[in-house]
Amino acid sequence: MSRLFVVPVLLLATILSAVTLTVIGPWAGPEMEKFMPVLREFEKQTGIKIEYKIYRAEDLANLLPAQFAAKKAPGDVIFMWASFIREYGQKGHILTLNGVLDEAKFLPGALDAVKVGDKLYGAAYTGKVKPGFWYRKSFFAKHGLTPPKTWDEFVELLEKIKKIPGIKAPIASGDGVGWPLSDVTEHFLISFGGPELQLDLIEGKVRWDSNLVMKGMNKLVSLLKNKYFGEPTEWTLVLKQWWNGDYALYFMGSWITGMVDDPNDLGVFALPGANGVVFGADSAFVPKYTQYPEEAKKLIAWLCSPEGQALQVKQGGHVATAVGIDLSSYPPVDREVAKIIQGVTALPDLDDSIGGEFQPTFWDQLKLLWVAPDRLNDVIRTLQEKAPKK
Amino acid sequence: MAFFVVPAFALVGIFVVYPVARTVVLSFLDSDGKFVGLQNYIKVLSSREIVNLEGLSRGFPLGALVHNLLWIAIHLPLTLALGLVLAVLLRNVRGGAVIKSIIFLGMVMPMIVGGVMINFMFDRNLGIFNAFMEIFAIPTRSWTAYPDTALLALIFGSVWLWVGFSTVLYSAGLETIPKDLYEAAQLDGASALKIFTKITIPMLRPITIVVVTMTLLWELKVFDIVYVATMGGPGGASNVLALQMYLYAFRALDFNRSAVVAVLLTMSTLLVSLPLLRTLRDDQS
Repeated sequence: MSRLFVVPVLLLATILSAVTLTVIGPWAGPEMEKFMPVLREFEKQTGIKIEYKIYRAEDLANLLPAQFAAKKAPGDVIFMWASFIREYGQKGHILTLNGVLDEAKFLPGALDAVKVGDKLYGAAYTGKVKPGFWYRKSFFAKHGLTPPKTWDEFVELLEKIKKIPGIKAPIASGDGVGWPLSDVTEHFLISFGGPELQLDLIEGKVRWDSNLVMKGMNKLVSLLKNKYFGEPTEWTLVLKQWWNGDYALYFMGSWITGMVDDPNDLGVFALPGANGVVFGADSAFVPKYTQYPEEAKKLIAWLCSPEGQALQVKQGGHVATAVGIDLSSYPPVDREVAKIIQGVTALPDLDDSIGGEFQPTFWDQLKLLWVAPDRLNDVIRTLQEKAPKK
Repeated sequence: MAFFVVPAFALVGIFVVYPVARTVVLSFLDSDGKFVGLQNYIKVLSSREIVNLEGLSRGFPLGALVHNLLWIAIHLPLTLALGLVLAVLLRNVRGGAVIKSIIFLGMVMPMIVGGVMINFMFDRNLGIFNAFMEIFAIPTRSWTAYPDTALLALIFGSVWLWVGFSTVLYSAGLETIPKDLYEAAQLDGASALKIFTKITIPMLRPITIVVVTMTLLWELKVFDIVYVATMGGPGGASNVLALQMYLYAFRALDFNRSAVVAVLLTMSTLLVSLPLLRTLRDDQS
């Protein structure tokens, strides 16, 4: 009789003691489906269960400060902006990952964005690059278009596209929170101001009204004034419109390869003269208030291991930050992306790195610039007011 | 007996009085907790985010405070007039209750959903507003994406969301007006317009005060619609005080400037509530 009682109690105790880690990330839909195999494999190998929750970084920026103040955290491993991780790591709300991750096993500089001094507050999971303007090879072939090699050729290409019947505008403008517009703007700044400009702007060493910045911004404004960019439209909606031929070009990160019906039909080119490309690693951290610090660190180690990252890059749209990933792990289209970024400087994302008040201001001011390009000076003045200063 | 009110007082003290007092105190401190007098107020009120005088010559943005005032100037008379007209028109119409329920749906809907719907409503590709404009061959655009129309689109969209409130209140008010007043006026040969202006409107005065007060309070604290539809953009062209308070606190992490906006909003709310309180007191006496 007593055995009958003991068995269910033991069973219940086992169930109650099973660890379930909560992972918070921004990916939903197809992006999430491509992330889940990595988590499932970890579950299989360790027996630790994982619950995945979707939160946008913008929402986490509101939620986490209050949670941290109450010594709580909504997840055990959380994907968030590097600037946020650095800031709250220094405030003591984030566990350090020194000893969990070996910097030598990452691409050079991959962990810089989540490091303060010798303290490592976050991990660099796989990343995405923002290589340039994507086009459909079939669309270009149908209309006899070729990727440009000079700025003049680029403008000629836009003019040709503009004349194609049924085209809303040559370049689709993704909107939403605002980051698609900031990505394309950064590409102009890097192309006409050099890769150092991006780093100097992040550190506040150069003013927004400097000649170098204005050179890139004026080029962008010249295209906006000629209506080569479409009206800002929600970025996933405009992605479909671009794919259906309403637009010919779309500036987007490499995750686009995982969001279209036929990735093999994708081609991409950077602005002629671009010597740098934004490489954004998906940064994750373990909050100090997790119930399962060791298990969470184990998950971080798995996510950053060559095996974990190989599983992710195989799904498409991601670029590994860990060294030792064979190129054959990548789908063909991602290998093309990898080729584009060879020989150019990998740069951190401008607004993600600065964060704070600057980021929403940058996004908002670019929305204004896109519909009112003649107000460039107002935009520059506002950005200079909110930019970091050294 | 006093023992029984302790929990209520404690709750109010902890969750209402303390946060309000703390916010007021914060508004006079700097980030290091040092008393700085009115410096934060001067900083906030002189910033272009709150009042942008350059906007008078260049167009939007005019600053969050001016945008709130514009919201009041356009939204309040429209919701009042539309609510009253709809209540009167639907009073003796068969199926009027159903129509009023449909109008009230906008009010029942969470405002965050309302904001998303406003965005869709004025979208170039999906919006019903543009479909309507196309009938008259008026060029279409995403109205919330342009600085000159973003705020107006939000205000007109919010009229649709809020008019159900005034319609329902006026409908209830109309039921309380004695029918013999109308009959007597009709016997005396008064016109419909005269009856409306001399009987209906004066008899609805208490309701009007409630509608005005509640609408003003809502207009002052409007946040959710703007947050989801435009995030105050483009370029701050549809920014409002409550959103600016949020941006100061959670993006700039400047709780002192945020507290200043909170205090200003609280004071405006109190000022707006006073006429209602006075009327209620007069009615009771």
